Amino acid sequence: MNHSPRLTHMTLISRFLFGPFRSGIEAQRPLLYRIAYAWCHDPALADDLVQEALSKAWARRAQLRDEAALKGWMVSIMNHCWLDHLRSWRDFDDIDDLYDELESGVEAPDACCNRREVIACVRAAVARLPLGQRQVLTLVDLEEFGYAEVAGILDIPVGTVMSRLSRARASLKVLLDPAAQQPAARTLLRSVK
Amino acid sequence: MNPVVSDETLHAFVDGELDVAESEALIARIRDDKDLAQRVCVLRSLQSMVRLAYAEPPVAAGRQPGATSRRQFMQRCAYGCLVLVAGLSGGWALRGLEPQAVATVPAVVAGGFQPVSLARVTDPNRVILHLDSAAPDKMQSVLDQAERLLDEAEQQGRAMQLEVIANSRGIDLLRAGVSPHAARMARMKQRHANLHWVACGQSIARFANEGEKIVLLPATQTAPTAIGEIVTRLQQGWTYVRV
Repeated sequence: MNHSPRLTHMTLISRFLFGPFRSGIEAQRPLLYRIAYAWCHDPALADDLVQEALSKAWARRAQLRDEAALKGWMVSIMNHCWLDHLRSWRDFDDIDDLYDELESGVEAPDACCNRREVIACVRAAVARLPLGQRQVLTLVDLEEFGYAEVAGILDIPVGTVMSRLSRARASLKVLLDPAAQQPAARTLLRSVK
Repeated sequence: MNPVVSDETLHAFVDGELDVAESEALIARIRDDKDLAQRVCVLRSLQSMVRLAYAEPPVAAGRQPGATSRRQFMQRCAYGCLVLVAGLSGGWALRGLEPQAVATVPAVVAGGFQPVSLARVTDPNRVILHLDSAAPDKMQSVLDQAERLLDEAEQQGRAMQLEVIANSRGIDLLRAGVSPHAARMARMKQRHANLHWVACGQSIARFANEGEKIVLLPATQTAPTAIGEIVTRLQQGWTYVRV
């Protein structure tokens, strides 16, 4: 609204010369990598996804009208890259099944004590969530996207975002809460004894 | 009376998705309801654990950052070459203008001082004189030059803007009780409304720190730094002369 005409001209000129905000696209790299890693828990794959998303975003930069939506737009591109990757990786006909069952191959979390262990535990717990829940949870918690934005990025209804988030947090609570796990183990031990 | 708050509502609250009225109502209930407070607390700690877990994701092993940016490097080289070619051809095209531009400021060049300007055509009507020492001959010379430039402009009917900026020991010229030319400067200022005395704020602060009491002459302005002022003026197309 308050853009001075001179600024608008500068933006237009730089758009003409360099396309919209090349640096803006490049600046999303750490954010995208964090999300990609939280989705797949594989550094090499996350790196590939980010690279692919960045180059696709660059190629399709003309499609983005609103600069404020850059972040969400790029995550949505990366989501498509990720789905493409999953399709090629396993011959899934129905991606919806995948959303509910896929866990990344990380072992179950054990007791968490110090900081490094907490980090490992949480990652393991997040990795055990079904893919759909994992995506919603990481977008909301890591990047503080609103529910509506997440719905736009993943192309699902807002209600689904809320229910997935709800289930994801409920499972995380169980996976990470030592009180919820250990009593069961203890009683088991006691009954054996 | 109050229905049980659903998990979805609490999540929406923690994620800042509720509107103000809803949040306030919920906060009021949380204050009275320990169980509810506990649930919110658990959610918040879950959220911060997830954030902590991915604050520093591990970097892909065996990938050198240099390799991925090879294309970028090539692009930058290409841009660099482009800029170089543009500069060279620009310089070649403008070579004829150079003597002409210099010829417009004979008044400033006189006296062996080198004028500097960022503008392609130097503006003889906007000049900034820079004094950075308290040597009596330099003080004398800066005032002489200023007066000569202003008088010439007046005779030719040009509206001239002139700024004398002082930093380091040059500040002494602008100090009340220290300046040897206070009376002359007051007279000059009276005659020429477009003459400005500017002192470098940084130098003043430095001398004040060392225990000197700095009182400037009336009608003296201060700039945050002399360098900043000079650069700003140059960008505005002024001609800079270091005395």
